[in-house]
Amino acid sequence: MKVSIYPEQHHLVNAFLVMFIIHSAQLGVGVQGFQRIIYMEAKHDAWMSVLLSGGIASIIGFIMVKTLQSYESADLYGIQRDVYGKWIGTFLNLVYVSYCLGAFLVIIRNYIEVLQAWVFPEVPTWFLALTLMLLVLYGALGGFRIIVGVSFFSVFLALWLLGLLSYPLQYINWQNIMPMFEANTMDILKGTYAMTFTVIGFELMYSYYPYIKEKQKTTRYMQIGLAYTTFLYLAVMLVSLGYFSGGQLERTIWATLSLFKIVRLPFIERFEYVAITFWMLIILPNLMLYIWSASRGVTRIFQWKEKTFIWIFSIFLFAAIQFFVTREQINALSDLFGKVSFYVVYCYPIVLYIFVLIKKKVVRKGNAT
Amino acid sequence: MFTMLPLLVLVPDTQRGLGYSNRPALSTPLRTAKIPHTRNEKVYFFPPKTKLIPLTTRRGTIMFFKKNEKSPGVEKLKSKESDIQMAESSEEFTRAIKNRLNNSSDVVVIKVRPDLTIIYIEALIETSMLNRDIIGQLNEESVAPSTVESQMNSGDVQQITSLKEAVFSLLGGAVLIHVEGFAPVVSVMIPTTDRRSLAKPENESIVIGPQLGFNESMATNISLVRRYLVNPDLTTVSMTRGEQTRTAISIMYINGIASDEMVETVKQRISNISVDGIMDSSVLMQLIEDNSMSIFPLMVLTERPDRACSWLLNGKIIIIVDGSSLVIGCPQSFIEYFQSMEDQNVKWQVASFFRLLRMIAMLLSVFFTAIYVASLTYHYEIIPQPLLIPLSESRSRVPFPPIIEALLLEFIIELLREAGARLPTKVGQTMGIVGGIVIGTAAVEAGFTSNILIIIVALGALASFTTPNFMMGNVIRILRFPIIILAGFWGFYGTMFAFCFLLIHLLRQSSLGSPFLAPFYPLRFRDWGNSVVRLPLNLTSKRPYQTRPLNSKKYDSKK
Repeated sequence: MKVSIYPEQHHLVNAFLVMFIIHSAQLGVGVQGFQRIIYMEAKHDAWMSVLLSGGIASIIGFIMVKTLQSYESADLYGIQRDVYGKWIGTFLNLVYVSYCLGAFLVIIRNYIEVLQAWVFPEVPTWFLALTLMLLVLYGALGGFRIIVGVSFFSVFLALWLLGLLSYPLQYINWQNIMPMFEANTMDILKGTYAMTFTVIGFELMYSYYPYIKEKQKTTRYMQIGLAYTTFLYLAVMLVSLGYFSGGQLERTIWATLSLFKIVRLPFIERFEYVAITFWMLIILPNLMLYIWSASRGVTRIFQWKEKTFIWIFSIFLFAAIQFFVTREQINALSDLFGKVSFYVVYCYPIVLYIFVLIKKKVVRKGNAT
Repeated sequence: MFTMLPLLVLVPDTQRGLGYSNRPALSTPLRTAKIPHTRNEKVYFFPPKTKLIPLTTRRGTIMFFKKNEKSPGVEKLKSKESDIQMAESSEEFTRAIKNRLNNSSDVVVIKVRPDLTIIYIEALIETSMLNRDIIGQLNEESVAPSTVESQMNSGDVQQITSLKEAVFSLLGGAVLIHVEGFAPVVSVMIPTTDRRSLAKPENESIVIGPQLGFNESMATNISLVRRYLVNPDLTTVSMTRGEQTRTAISIMYINGIASDEMVETVKQRISNISVDGIMDSSVLMQLIEDNSMSIFPLMVLTERPDRACSWLLNGKIIIIVDGSSLVIGCPQSFIEYFQSMEDQNVKWQVASFFRLLRMIAMLLSVFFTAIYVASLTYHYEIIPQPLLIPLSESRSRVPFPPIIEALLLEFIIELLREAGARLPTKVGQTMGIVGGIVIGTAAVEAGFTSNILIIIVALGALASFTTPNFMMGNVIRILRFPIIILAGFWGFYGTMFAFCFLLIHLLRQSSLGSPFLAPFYPLRFRDWGNSVVRLPLNLTSKRPYQTRPLNSKKYDSKK
C-alpha cells in the first residue's frame, strides 16, 4: 500500500470548497437538539461551552492539517500504515473505517427518529432508511466531486433556515443568560465534552485531503468553515437560551426544531415540518462523506473498487439500522458514539501528530547516519 | 481462430446510466488528453475491426470467439462496390451502374453519340444545366475523358475511376459521362437546389432582434453563420454519418476560442455513431449527449442564426445537420436553458428581471402543485387558519383526495396542450378556449376540483411555458407528475426526496465533459453576471469558463 495517493486531476476540488465540506459535515442531526445536553452541564453559561468547543475544534483541525502536511499527498490510511507498520496500521485503519460507519449509522438513525417523532409517526423505519440510502448511494457512487457538490448546495440552500432564527429573536429574554460566568470551569468543560457529537465531522479531512487541489490553502479554508459552524452554533445556542427558560430547555429534546415551531408567515406557519424534511439536504452530505470515507479506507487496504464497497456498506448499514428501534436504544447508540468520537476526533489526532513527528525525526536521523 | 488479445470488457457505467450501445465513448484526441473536471471513467477501446466476445459455457470456463463487427449484409454490399472494375465498354458500364442501383426506374441513360453515354438520376439534377452546360458543350473533340473534362463549364468536374464513387456522385446529383473505350468517367455535379426560402423562426420568436431562421439546407445555414461571423478562424469540419442516409454533418467552431479538446470530443463522438439514419439534428443530439439516460437535454437546439453565432463567440461548438433547420450547440449548462436571445437585445435591468422570473417560474412549475398536495394531505398544520378556511371551503365539495384531484387536473392541462400542439393553429386556439371554459367553470361546478387547485395548476402550467427552450419546457412539465405522486404518498418528505434526487442527478450530469450545474457548482461568480442575471455589457467582457475558451477575453471593457 502506498502512503501517498495522487487522484487524477479531474477528481480534485478547489481549496475554497473545503469550507463548505467542513461546515456541511459538521452540521447534522446534532444541532437539532444539542441545547438540552449542554444546558444540563453548564446551565445558562452553555454558550461558553459552545465557544470553547469551537476553539478546540479549530486547534484540532490545525493539528490535523499539520499532520497531513508532513506528507505530500497522503490520507489518514496511508499515514497510519506508514507510522505504525503493516499490522497495527491496517488494524487502526479498520478501526477508523468502523468509526465512519458508526457515524453514518448514528446520523441516519437519529434523523429517522426525528422524522418519525415529528412528521410521520406511521411510516416504517425501513422505508425511510431505504429512501435515504438510495439518495446516498446515488450521490456517493458519483465520486468525491459530486459529494462536494451536494455539500456546497446543502450549505447554500439551507441559508434561509438561519433567517428563521430571527423570528424567536423578538420574544427573547436576555435575563435568561444573566448572570454570566456562574458555571465553574469543570461544568463548562463537561458541556464541551457533551458537545462532541454536534461538532464532529471535520475529522473527515483526514480522508479527503489528497483530493484538495491547492493543499497549502487547506488550513485557511478549514478554519473559515470551522469558525462559521461555531458562529452558527453560538447563535442557535444564544437564541435558545434567551427564548426558553431553564426548565423548558431541560425538557425540550429538540430545541432547535421547537424554535421553528413558532415561525409564522401569512401563508405558512409551523415551519418545523418544512425544516425537518428540508434537513434531509443537510444530512445527505454527512452520510455521503462518511460512507465515502469508509469505502476509501477499505479500498486502500484491499485494493478493490471503491464502488463495490459503497454498495456493500450500504446494504450492511441498511440492515444495521433495523436493530435500533426504541428511544433508549437510539440514545444508547448516540451516547456510545459520542464517547468514541471524543477519543477519535479530539484525542487521537494529537497522538498521531506526535507519532508522525517522532517518525520523521527517526527517519532523518537514519538518513544522516 | 483464437486471438490472444487482452480481454476487453465494457464495464456498465453506473455514473452515466447503464451501458448504451450507441453511446459514443468519451473521446479524446489520440486517446491521451484528459479533460479536467470531468468524470471518472475509463474508456475501453476495441480494436477497430474485431472484438472478442467472452462466452461462458456451462462449465463456467470462458471461451473466446472472434466476431466480425460488420453484418454479412454490409459485407456483401462492400464487395459489390469495390470488386467490380470499371468497364471500358459503355454497355457494361451502364449495366453495372443500373445493377448497383437495383434497376431503379429513375436512372436515365442517354446515348448522345455512339461513343458518348450520359447517365444521371432524374430529379436530382438541374435539367436546364444538363442541356446548356453539358450536352451543349460536347462536340467532335470529345473523344477522351480528359478532353470532356476540359470542355465542361460547371465548377465541380472530376474524373472517377471506382464504381463506388461513381454511384455516390450520381446519388449526390452528378451527371456521369462515359466515353467508349475508357475506364474513367467524367462526373459533373449539377444538383438541384430546391430549398425553402428563409423564414421567421417560429418557436424562438423574439420581439427585438433579427427575424431570420435557419432552414433545411446545410449550405444555407453555413452561409448564414458565415455572414454573421466574417472571420477566417471560423472553422467548418464536415462528416457523413448514417449507414443508409449518409447525412452530411458540419461542426463549426472558432479556432482559437473554442476548446480544442471539446472539438476533438465532438468529432470523436460523431464518428463513433453507428445508426442507419439521422433524420434531424435532434436525433444526432440524442446520440452524442453525455448521458442518454437523463431526462434533461444536455445539449441545446436553436433555429436562430444570431443565437448560434453568439454561442460561437462564447467558445461553443455548433453542429449543423443537412436536412434539419435546428442547429445543435454544446456544451450547455442547466441555467442557459432559461436564457432567451432577447435578453441580449433589451436593457440589462429588464433582461435580469426576466431571467430571475423564469428561474422562479421553473421552481414554481415543478414544485408548487406538489407542495399543495403534500400540505393538504399530510401537513394541514402549516397552513395558517385564515388561509385554511377558504381552502377547505373550496375543497368541501370535492370527493377526491388532493393527489387524485391534482393529477386529474394536471392531466387535463397536458391533454389540452398536446391537443393544441397537434392541431392546426386556428383549431388549436379554439381548443384553448373550450378547454379553458371546461376546466375553469364546469369542473368546479361539477365538484370535480377546487377553485384554488385550478389557480395553482394553471400557474404551474403557465410558468412552465416561460422556459424559452422547448425541450427543457417539456422536461419541466413531465417532472411534475412523479413529484406530485411522491408528495401525495409521503408529503413533504416525498417532495424533498424528489428535490434531493434532482439535485444529485443534475450534479452528476455534464455537457461535453463540462459540469451541467455551472456556474453554481463549480462556483464561478464571474459567470453569474451573464447567466443568473445579465449585467451591462461592459461588465461581461469575459467568455464563460464553462466552454473552457482558449481566449477568455471577449473585448476590452474599458472602451
